[in-house]
Amino acid sequence: MATALVGIGRTSFSRRSGRTTRAMAVEACRAALADAGMAVADVDGMVCFQVGDSAHPGDVSYALGKDELAWSYSVYAGGNVVSDLIALASASIEAGLCRSVLVYRSLNGRSGHRLGSMEAPVQVPDDAQFDAPSGFLVPPQWFAMWARRHMHTYGTTSQDLGAIAVQQRTHAMANEHAIMKDPLTLDQYLQGRWINEPFRVFDCTYEIDAAVAVLVTSEAVAQSTRHKPVWLVGSGSSQSGSTWTAWDDQTAMYSRTAAPRLWNSTGLRPADMDVALMYDCFTYTVMATMEDYGFCGKGEVGDFYREGRATYGGDIVVNPHGGLLSEGYVHGLNHHYEAVLQLRGDAGVRQVPDARTALVTAGGGPYGGAVVYSADRP
Amino acid sequence: MSDFAALTPQPLPDPDTQDFWDSLGKGELGICRCQECSLWMHPPLERCRACAGAVAIESVSGAGTVVSFIVVRQPTVPGRLPPYVVATVELQEQRGLHLVAVLHAEPDAVHVGDRVQAEVVPLPGGDFRVPEFRPAP
Repeated sequence: MATALVGIGRTSFSRRSGRTTRAMAVEACRAALADAGMAVADVDGMVCFQVGDSAHPGDVSYALGKDELAWSYSVYAGGNVVSDLIALASASIEAGLCRSVLVYRSLNGRSGHRLGSMEAPVQVPDDAQFDAPSGFLVPPQWFAMWARRHMHTYGTTSQDLGAIAVQQRTHAMANEHAIMKDPLTLDQYLQGRWINEPFRVFDCTYEIDAAVAVLVTSEAVAQSTRHKPVWLVGSGSSQSGSTWTAWDDQTAMYSRTAAPRLWNSTGLRPADMDVALMYDCFTYTVMATMEDYGFCGKGEVGDFYREGRATYGGDIVVNPHGGLLSEGYVHGLNHHYEAVLQLRGDAGVRQVPDARTALVTAGGGPYGGAVVYSADRP
Repeated sequence: MSDFAALTPQPLPDPDTQDFWDSLGKGELGICRCQECSLWMHPPLERCRACAGAVAIESVSGAGTVVSFIVVRQPTVPGRLPPYVVATVELQEQRGLHLVAVLHAEPDAVHVGDRVQAEVVPLPGGDFRVPEFRPAP
């Protein structure tokens, strides 16, 4: 049985929503259903991920008008699980647990709790207890630590990281939904304030308030929806319990094992992809995962971008919506929204010509995964 | 001690890590080591992750090499005033045995591969003692 994404929905992306995460999730879910031409009654499954910052499927589905769900799941996790949740929704449908699943992420990522910040004082448990004394506790520190090692090993420069940020901003300028649409030059990137060296402000995702939902369903249901279905071809994941500190090679991420898993299971190669939505909580995440998924060799990403190989007319268009860096941080689910737009041919002025296949990655560091979507039934 | 330093996040020990902190409390940097296969592991575990053998905290030299480092420029986590350096250090006892700690050095003077030496110092804001690094003499 094949499964497909048949509906996409989202709220506006803002710096201060003034709304609950439940209200935003409901709006995004209703939009996804309307997009598919389906009714609330047609959905019997719902799944989300959150870090204690969002409404759960029971609350969202009730507000949506459902009295109960046949299957629901909420996992405390970050962007590393997005592709796994799409695959899980698909597997749940194939297993007969439910017929159609809304996958959503809703967060007040800017006006509420910000992932790059901490309220003090705190006692830090678990593996992070060893990092507490150094204040080494937030993602823009972990990824910067790894980026520095990549610079040492491969001669990577700030200009290389900047090339990614600049390209994505250029893409975002053609996306009216993006929150950061002002032009960004390499000089402006280099003059950006430091966050944690070697990261400047433009290396970091732009946190926003927003919700995104995608609707996954079976082939049978997909036949009667409004748009051409976007088919799930396969997925590959690698989730490690290594700490950021214990990880053996900071120049490679989870993708060193997830990528071969994905390509082997799908029988596809990087060259078969038309568009890539690379998870970009930070520029360095794009860099290390571009290498691991096989779009270029180690240390070659800077040149890859400067030579125009990551944009229209190049090898592959990477993050045509501007990515999490410029469209805004909906924890990676907005990558799946963009993939569906592109594979339907509905991306407007930023449409990747003849896009038939998309790679969408999720997460970074020790944990993450990816899915491949196709406009053609697998 | 400034009020800001008193906000430094504190570790919350658990049964797997209590001996590690107790060792530091006595002024010794000790790392979890398997008593069967001799593997060092950090963070500490109740049993060895390679052979499931019994473990104990054993003192280490504190000598190591900088694997990578950041210069914290934005005060996202309270307790220390930027700029300061946080380094991933590979301890000389075993390849891949990493520890993250503050490195007391001028940011511009730090390089990957530098030799460093741990010392055990009080952590502001509580009763813990922690390892911090300085350039090796």
